[in-house]
Amino acid sequence: MHALANWTLEFCRWCNESFFGHTIRDSAWLFPFIEVFHLLALGLLGGIIVMLNLSLLGFRFGSASTRELARELRPWMLGCILIMLLSGFLLFSTEAVKLYGNWAFQLKMIFLLLALLFTATLHRRVLDAPQTGAALRAVTAIVSLLLWLGVGLGGRAIGYVTTAASAVAGS
Amino acid sequence: MILDSTFVWLHDTAFGTLIRESTWAEPIVETIHVLTLTVFLGFVILLDLRLLDLALRRTPVSTVFRQLNPWLFGAFAIMLITGLSLFAGDPVLFYGTIFFKLKMIMLLAAALNVVVFNFTLGRRLVQWDSRAVTPAGAKLTGILSLVLWISVVACGRGIAYVLPPP
Repeated sequence: MHALANWTLEFCRWCNESFFGHTIRDSAWLFPFIEVFHLLALGLLGGIIVMLNLSLLGFRFGSASTRELARELRPWMLGCILIMLLSGFLLFSTEAVKLYGNWAFQLKMIFLLLALLFTATLHRRVLDAPQTGAALRAVTAIVSLLLWLGVGLGGRAIGYVTTAASAVAGS
Repeated sequence: MILDSTFVWLHDTAFGTLIRESTWAEPIVETIHVLTLTVFLGFVILLDLRLLDLALRRTPVSTVFRQLNPWLFGAFAIMLITGLSLFAGDPVLFYGTIFFKLKMIMLLAAALNVVVFNFTLGRRLVQWDSRAVTPAGAKLTGILSLVLWISVVACGRGIAYVLPPP
C-alpha cells in the first residue's frame, strides 16, 4: 500500500513537471479551453448514461429497444469517455501534486474507476441482453447512475476543497 | 435605472442574503445547476445529433422530440431556478462581467432558434420526420443549437474565471 502511494505521488510529480503541466499552467487560456471540452463531453456522456439507464428502468424510447439504443449510442459514449479522460488528464497535470492530497479528487478517482469497470462489464452485458429480468435491469441502472453521480459530486467538490485548504493556509 | 433597482432589491431579499452568506447554500445550488446540465445539455446534443443525422437515425425525429421534451423542459426549469438563485446572491457583480452578458445573449439566441424552428420546419414535422435524411433547414437548426448552447456553457464557465471565489 505504501509502495502504491509512493508510486502515485511520483507519478503526480512527473505530471506536474511534464510538458503538458508546464504548457497549460503557463498559458492564460489553455486551461479554460480544455475545461470547456471536458464539460461538453460531460454533458453528452451524462445525457447518454441517463437515457440508457432510463431505458433500463422501463421508460420506452419510441420503438427502439434498450439493446438497439445502446448499440446506437455506444460509439458516442466511448468517444465522450475518451475526451473526458484525455482532457481530464491534461487539467490534472497542471496541479497533480496538489490534487494528490485532495480528498474530493481521490473520491472522484475511486468512483471513476468503479463506474468505468461497471460500465464495461455488468452494465454492458445487461444493456445487450433483452431477456434480463426487470429487477436486475433496474438495479443495474440505479448502480450505474449512483456511480456516475459519485464521479460528478467528487469532481464538483474538488474546487471547494482546494479553496478551503488554501483559505486555511492563507490565514 | 429600473435594472439597477431590481438588482439591489434582489440582492437585499432574504433569499439573496442566504445564497451570499450561508456556507452551504451556494455550493449546493451550484452543484445542482452543474449536475442538471448533464441531463439538459446531453439531451440537447442528442436532439441536435438526430437533426444532423448523426445519431438515433432509426428513430423518427418526432419520437425523439416527444420522448426527450419532458426531461428537457424539466431540466431547463431546474437550470433556470438554480441559475436565478445563484444570480440573486450578487446580481450587480454578475451583471458586471462580460461573460454573464454574453451568456444571456447566447441564451436568448438559443431560445429564438427553438421558436423559429417550431414555427417553420417544426410545423411540417410529419412530412420529413421519418425520412432517413433530414432537410437542410433541420441541419442548420441543429448546428445553430449546438454552437449556441456550447457558447452558453463556455460563457458560464467564463463567469467563474473572472469572478473571485467567495
